Amino acid sequence: MNRRNLLIGAGLAALAVSGGAALAQQPVVKIGYQLPLTGNTAQYGQDFKNAAEIALAKFNASGRPFKVEIVFEDSRSDAKEGIAIARKFVDDKEIVGVLGDFTSGVSMASAQVYKSAGMPQLSQTASHPDYAKISEWQFRNITTQAQEGPYNADWMVDQGFKKIAVIAEQTDWGQTVVSNFADEVKKKGGEVVFSEFFNRGLADFRPIITKIAREKPDAIYTGFFYEDGAQFLKQMKQLGLTIPVYSTSAAYNQKLIELAGADAEGMHLTATFLPSNPAPQVQEFVAAWKEKTGQAEPGQFPAQAYDAVNIMLAALEKAWPEPTREKVRDALAATKDFPGVTGDTTFDAHREPAKKLTKAVVKGGQFVAVAD
Amino acid sequence: MSDRLRPLLVVAAVLVLVLGVVPAVLGAFDRSYLYQVANLALIFVLLAASMHLVTGVAGLLQLGHAAFYGVGAYTAALLTTEAGLSFGWTLPLAGLGAAFVAVLVALPTMRLVSIYFAVATLGIGQMLYLVMLNWVPVTKGPNGILVTSGLTLFGYDLSRPASAYFVVAVVTLASLWVIHRLSHSYYGNALRSLREDDQCADAMGLDTVRLKIESFAVSGFFAGIAGALWAHTAGYISPADFSFPQSILILAMVVVGGLGSLPGAVIGALVLILLPEVLRPVGDFRNIIVGGVLFFSILLMPKGIIGEVSALDLVRRQLGGAWRGEGTKAGSEVGWR
Repeated sequence: MNRRNLLIGAGLAALAVSGGAALAQQPVVKIGYQLPLTGNTAQYGQDFKNAAEIALAKFNASGRPFKVEIVFEDSRSDAKEGIAIARKFVDDKEIVGVLGDFTSGVSMASAQVYKSAGMPQLSQTASHPDYAKISEWQFRNITTQAQEGPYNADWMVDQGFKKIAVIAEQTDWGQTVVSNFADEVKKKGGEVVFSEFFNRGLADFRPIITKIAREKPDAIYTGFFYEDGAQFLKQMKQLGLTIPVYSTSAAYNQKLIELAGADAEGMHLTATFLPSNPAPQVQEFVAAWKEKTGQAEPGQFPAQAYDAVNIMLAALEKAWPEPTREKVRDALAATKDFPGVTGDTTFDAHREPAKKLTKAVVKGGQFVAVAD
Repeated sequence: MSDRLRPLLVVAAVLVLVLGVVPAVLGAFDRSYLYQVANLALIFVLLAASMHLVTGVAGLLQLGHAAFYGVGAYTAALLTTEAGLSFGWTLPLAGLGAAFVAVLVALPTMRLVSIYFAVATLGIGQMLYLVMLNWVPVTKGPNGILVTSGLTLFGYDLSRPASAYFVVAVVTLASLWVIHRLSHSYYGNALRSLREDDQCADAMGLDTVRLKIESFAVSGFFAGIAGALWAHTAGYISPADFSFPQSILILAMVVVGGLGSLPGAVIGALVLILLPEVLRPVGDFRNIIVGGVLFFSILLMPKGIIGEVSALDLVRRQLGGAWRGEGTKAGSEVGWR
């Protein structure tokens, strides 16, 4: 080695040492985030990653005594990848909490690992009725249909709709959409005259719509995401069926209006997040989102992810100075009235979030909050 | 080395490698992640090997293999959660359940050949998937099933990834041995004759329909065994685990490894499970790289990583399957012992 290389080497070593010193001044806490960054559901995972990076950048710039690092791992919404990632996170002694996954199936499969290893897991979207029951380590930041179903049933029955048709996608979540809603409708003296499940990505809703029309319901209650929702609304208008459509917060996405256009007008739904909400944290998130992604306003799911990350960061702060997985879990469980963009969040004794729901309607190509 | 000793040594070497060296290396890292990936790889080795028998050896292009994997997994999961049976019972029953369904599928489809058979199995795979998804009272539909009992054998809980590895490895090795004996024998030759020309095989007195149904049943049996392993090691199953892309994944393993080659199927499965995990640090591009590897391996090695001819040669030499009669010259042996 000649002298020059030696000098460069020494310089690099000095850099490494000084870098290490800087890190020592700012301790780093690591959390994991498993989400689909590729595959069929990649659009959701990419949104979560953007939301998480916004939340993280804000947290790390706020002068806390420690910095947080999020390790993103791509699960492709595939259970076998999800479990492998879970093992990877559990092995990393520095990781004290995990966010994700997107689908209930992958979240539940990974939860088996987190349960046995004792790792707090907070999913922004897992809506399976049994997810939070797996163990004391599972949390979620999505209102379940146990809350939303009866709320929507009351809303619709109070509007004077007595005969209601229900359709939902054939997923664990879709099952809960129908069951929770139908129970409350019966209790309120209404009647579910038709209920059917469809497989996600169905191209032709017309047979279902024809069957609905035959039952002559007062209104339709739907459990779908925006892709299926837009198809359904368009085909419903094509067939000339003009009865009110109500839906869940899962359909809340600007892309629904983009895809369905004028046919989305007048659809009612519940939401926990409206970008038009003047609350400062909401406006801050919406502005940061537009700047980072160049897209229009964020939908419901990125907002839930943003809140989930912030709830996790707040739990890390509570568990500081020596965060352990147990302390982070306890801090998560103690989350009370956390002021997020999807409303104030409190975890109940079963680690389920209670949130305030907002009623909204599509009007002039926008989601607008309504009183009833 | 004597001809008698060599096969024993080869088998011993494989056993030492899979049950000794690999766990020792994994143990040295002390990371449950590595065991998890190893378990997954072994389950897919078994799936690829079971498909190898029907698609590679018997030449029946199977596009619904994941459905039998699913039937096995659901059989195991339901027997555990509803009937309280332990892994020792659910494992063989899952295999038998999947074999039973495979026979039912085989009966009407055996008259079909080539692409028509492939499309029929594609349809049946989708049908079985939709049954898992929509038969809610039995399969819990999209809710999936939480498999409460892990790998319990003789009262010992072997669910930790490190101990599960040995269970999965022993089951996979035993299954591979059976598939090896079936595909590298006169019986395997009969299946190969179906692939080459089933009318000719028929004319020579082979009961082609029976052979096809048998190979289908055996293939379904081992796919079911793999399903039971997955259900008990994952702890939660849902229909998405057994959807059409999984069938294609298994088919890709068999084709990349080499159609008709058992070592090829094993290597193909290892490549397609381990490569995406190894490439995890690359990020979003890893799927493109895996796709590229698939593309170029088929382009440059159309017969597979270990083609059928070299695989048969390997098996004959190393595992002593070749017939060595009196007075034959080395290299001129034909047939199996």
